[in-house]
Amino acid sequence: MYGGGNTFEAMKATALVDEDPIKLAEFEARIERGEKIEPSDWMPQLYRKQLIRMIEQHAHSEIIGALPEGTWITRAPGFKRKLALMAKVQDEVGHAQLLYGAAETLGKSREDMIQDLINGKSKYSNIFNYPAFTWADSCFISWLVDAGAIVNQVANSKGSYGPYCRALERICAEESFHLKYGHHCVIHLATGTKKQREMMQAAVNRWWAPMMHFFGPSDKISVHSEILMKWKVKMASNDECRQQFLDMYVPKIWELGLTIPDDKLMKNEATGQWEYTEPDWDEFKRVINGDGPCNKERLAVRRKAEERGRWVREALLAPKAKYVTPLA
Amino acid sequence: MLESLDPRVNRLGLPDSFGSPFGSSSLDQFETYEAFVMTKPGKPFEHVGIVHAPNEEMAWLFSKEQYTRRGMIYCALCVIKTENVKVSAVTDNDLDVYTTIEGEYSGQEKDSFEVFHLIKRGKQHKHSGSVMAADFEDAMRSANQSIERPKTVYNVWIAKTEDIFSSDEEDADIWDTLKEKKYRDAIDYKAADKIKAFKEEQA
Repeated sequence: MYGGGNTFEAMKATALVDEDPIKLAEFEARIERGEKIEPSDWMPQLYRKQLIRMIEQHAHSEIIGALPEGTWITRAPGFKRKLALMAKVQDEVGHAQLLYGAAETLGKSREDMIQDLINGKSKYSNIFNYPAFTWADSCFISWLVDAGAIVNQVANSKGSYGPYCRALERICAEESFHLKYGHHCVIHLATGTKKQREMMQAAVNRWWAPMMHFFGPSDKISVHSEILMKWKVKMASNDECRQQFLDMYVPKIWELGLTIPDDKLMKNEATGQWEYTEPDWDEFKRVINGDGPCNKERLAVRRKAEERGRWVREALLAPKAKYVTPLA
Repeated sequence: MLESLDPRVNRLGLPDSFGSPFGSSSLDQFETYEAFVMTKPGKPFEHVGIVHAPNEEMAWLFSKEQYTRRGMIYCALCVIKTENVKVSAVTDNDLDVYTTIEGEYSGQEKDSFEVFHLIKRGKQHKHSGSVMAADFEDAMRSANQSIERPKTVYNVWIAKTEDIFSSDEEDADIWDTLKEKKYRDAIDYKAADKIKAFKEEQA
């Protein structure tokens, strides 16, 4: 889950000038035919760079995304919920492994990716810079953030880069459990006692703005790149993904008697499009650039994990070293 | 050319100017292993992906965690260190990669090799047979003579049989899924009745 709202590098006007025009034409013809690009194939530097960026962001989002939910494992209500949430969080970390593996085939080492996450050079899904205050927040993430990610992932799994598509196919197969589990949790609260309903409604109110941000800036203001669409790096625009999410999930939220904190939210039956209050993109930029409620905490956890794991990696790298009982 | 501990990165032949520098002094990344699974007894091993691991036993364990999770039923798993996999050229446009090799098979039976074929772009390599040969190039020539190819082969991976670390048949029960783990499956979460009851109550 979790792959959403990728930030792409702005295109330079000269980006394709240095590329071999014959190889470029062959490359584009292959994509046009619907064939996958494999690691050993020739590809433009821009394609390689943008894909590394996108897959890396997706992988980081999986491990960072495991944090807000992970903290709820010990406090989840009941043994069954604890087991299920543990399985889900474990899945997310596994997804990161698959994605790092796919990004590595493009030539960036896993260690460099982890390093760039810790030093803030690489981004991850902005929504995880917000805290999960209550159990209901964790339920919102399991159901709706996963749902948003599935919209993106299903689109991307039809992209042009072979290893990424194969990783996404495996990931999407596991998502069905996450979605059903999350929905089950939300239904339980929304149809429960007054206090449970209030808790769920408060979570929806808190998470709606980040959820709208999740798909990335509106097409009107985002770095719009036809070439990334043509090369099937990006398969659907941010607004298209957002519309699809609203269409699939707003009715499901409403049918549970929950409200959504946006007076303008409605489907325009004439156009078939959802209308909504334009999300606050300044807030989005501010948070993605480091000034969100949890940015520092999330990276600190990652940094600590990296530091604490170092002795394990070092120990494993010296398999012949033997433990000797201290002499005194 | 850039150097990395990951042989797959080195094969790309990227110029130094590309991206971030590799081989930093603090590099503590493990080497990579290629993982292959068997979906049913008698089916060939097929490639599923890579893991980073300090040795082949750990690679096998990581692969089991990574690639044979619930919902994916397998019956055997093996790993090969990436640097021990010899990769052929890649061909295109219905050109069989075996037609591009030169020389004759030596007939020597020094080592045993396992051969993996890629027959469709976008898919993964599948085990196609074993050959005896003097070295990797020779194994390719031997495979050309002895392994049947009903379809065009675009790429070949060859590894020495001794370099493959595989699960044992007698340990087959490790692939059984425990019944009490149903909470990990979507089917365990039924919601329609509850939503219906809620709607009726509200109406």
